[in-house]
Amino acid sequence: MDIKVTEHKRVMVVEVHGRIDSSTAAEFDQAVMDLIEQGKKNLVLDLSDVEFLSSAGLRTMVSGRKAVQPSGAIKLAGPSQRVKDTLEIAGLDVLFESYADRESAVGSY
Amino acid sequence: MAQRSLTIRAELDQINRICQAVESSAVEAGLDERAAYAFQLAVCEACENIVVHGYSDRARGQIQVDISVRPGELRVELRDTAPAFNPARVEASPPSPSDDPPVGGLGLYILQKVVDEIRYDRRQGENRLVLTKRKSEAAD
Repeated sequence: MDIKVTEHKRVMVVEVHGRIDSSTAAEFDQAVMDLIEQGKKNLVLDLSDVEFLSSAGLRTMVSGRKAVQPSGAIKLAGPSQRVKDTLEIAGLDVLFESYADRESAVGSY
Repeated sequence: MAQRSLTIRAELDQINRICQAVESSAVEAGLDERAAYAFQLAVCEACENIVVHGYSDRARGQIQVDISVRPGELRVELRDTAPAFNPARVEASPPSPSDDPPVGGLGLYILQKVVDEIRYDRRQGENRLVLTKRKSEAAD
């Protein structure tokens, strides 16, 4: 798994490539939680190139969402079909606003 | 019926080997891509549960895996020597998306939601979990 963090118009974009599973979730968790601890509360997760997302990754997304509320949000940019499937199976798809691409997710803030 | 077996050390970074074997077997069984992914995810959650909660801090053991492929059906048998635990008997409630969903129990919820049949028994100090996924009629 590779993670790249960039800033676009005061929105932090976390771009993830590969698998978010039980062996890589700690790295994903650290990337997201580090931003929140730095006071960055408007986040976009670009999960368009994520080929696997397990409950270990969902836990970070749900915990992160709770940590940025009520002033901030975690939004999704172009989630892959597999990311959408995991969210839907877990019944958590309604928690995260999803946009077709990064530009529209960033622009929504 | 095609069969394949593998044994992994009960470590988180080994679980992906099982996921990959399940995914390729799912294709052989004729499951569509989304069903194959869902089943791969469920098996991964079951394995993570064994590693994190089953073996816990005890001396790490192994997970033995037998995958059976039949036309339209995939069966995965997981065996481990962690303390007895039957994931089919745990009542995993759906997370409540409206407020503040609990993050615990998600893996078991996914497992129970995706798998068509879960069988568990304990024999001679060994947990045996059999997970079956069938091709849906709609996928034909």
